[in-house]
Amino acid sequence: MFRRLISSGIITLMVMPAFAQTVRVAVAANAQYVVKKLATDFKKKTGLTVEVISGSSGKLSAQIQNGAPYDLFLSADMDFAQSVYGNGFALTKPKTYAYGSLIVCSSTGADVKNWKKYIATSTSGKIAIGNPKLAPYGKAAEESLNHFALYKAIASRLVFAESISQVNTYVLKGVVNIGFTTESLFYELDASQKFVWEKVDPSSYEPIAQGAVLLKHAKNKNYSNNKKFYDYLFSADAKAIFRKFGYKTA
Amino acid sequence: MEWTPIWLSLKLAAITTFILLIIGIPIAYWLSRRSSWVKVIFEAILTMPLVLPPSVLGFYLLLTFSPNSPIGKWLLDYFNLSLVFSFEGLVVASVVYSFPFMISPVKSALAHLPASLAEASYTMGKSKLETFYRVLLPNIKSSLLTATVLTFAHTLGEFGVVLMIGGKLEGVTKVASIAIYDAVDNNQYGQAHQYSLVLFAITFAIVILVFVFNRNSSGGPLE
Repeated sequence: MFRRLISSGIITLMVMPAFAQTVRVAVAANAQYVVKKLATDFKKKTGLTVEVISGSSGKLSAQIQNGAPYDLFLSADMDFAQSVYGNGFALTKPKTYAYGSLIVCSSTGADVKNWKKYIATSTSGKIAIGNPKLAPYGKAAEESLNHFALYKAIASRLVFAESISQVNTYVLKGVVNIGFTTESLFYELDASQKFVWEKVDPSSYEPIAQGAVLLKHAKNKNYSNNKKFYDYLFSADAKAIFRKFGYKTA
Repeated sequence: MEWTPIWLSLKLAAITTFILLIIGIPIAYWLSRRSSWVKVIFEAILTMPLVLPPSVLGFYLLLTFSPNSPIGKWLLDYFNLSLVFSFEGLVVASVVYSFPFMISPVKSALAHLPASLAEASYTMGKSKLETFYRVLLPNIKSSLLTATVLTFAHTLGEFGVVLMIGGKLEGVTKVASIAIYDAVDNNQYGQAHQYSLVLFAITFAIVILVFVFNRNSSGGPLE
């Protein structure tokens, strides 16, 4: 038994596959869908593969500062991108690649058109927002709730998701009645999904300027490919895709 | 369905089990001999991953192996080895994490062997090493199999530690359990179902195997 185990172990060690060099992009959860679309378009244009790793901006920035081998970081705000840059992990200063839009939504038929009144009066179900410390959209939701003086009243019904994708999961599976998330979610759903949404008044929260940085790790291998994707992010083609998925661009 | 995460999980489990067989069995043997308080503490430390939340282990492995820490920096500078966000890192973490699953069945089986078995072998002039490999180990075959299989299965099911120090890199650290989490996060429930089903099938087959193999011994699957 031992000899067999040992030989199979050695074989396993020997056939470790070598992975092709790709551009590794750490993307804030809200933008993972649109960035995958960008990656498809970028591949069509250049033949280069982009690997998307998604998570909350806070988590990704912590990973980068602990040595994660990502080439680009697309944050959901400027602050996390700035902290990565400020601590010496980026080659470029944070630059805004898109402006996000916050929506309030439900798949359980909540009255989101009049959401302020609805959440103040209806006590049914939970309300999901992203963790304000990690997810900039969560922070925006918190600001907006404070702006309309609703936060205190609903605080006990709030559920804090780890990232904006988790808010989306909670909403789409109906485990919460209402969620605050990114407008781009709407554009990735198919028509069969029961889903109602409404934009949150943009004057009630700080604009969600999403910053990108080219990371130091990009210099290690295939710098020109990584730089190419960074430049592509700000191209007219990329901007058109961002706009198609509910973002604003400068 | 992308098979890479499944393959990666199996590879991680195989390598971890292989390493633990090599280092775990001698340690289990040492622990099974007369006990002293040093051994008690040592064994307690090795057993900690069984009860400690994986996040604790992941957190400290992350701090230890981060390039910002002296150890992480040293490994990187001298061996060009990074144990965070790399497959090697997952192997190290899994070895620590699955240690008790290898040690405890083997140790308990060795401790239960009658002392006369080894003594008889010594009187016939066999060395300690030879006695160990040709007399003791063959006598605890079923425990060895249990330990091997459980280590393998436990590594397949690993999630928390990998999440902390892995970072979801395609083909590098995105093992099956993480791929499920990621698929759920990205609204791809179909994919999450598929991975879950495959993992379920593999682990179920493994557990059945252990039960069938050990059906004649009275002990539970963990002994």
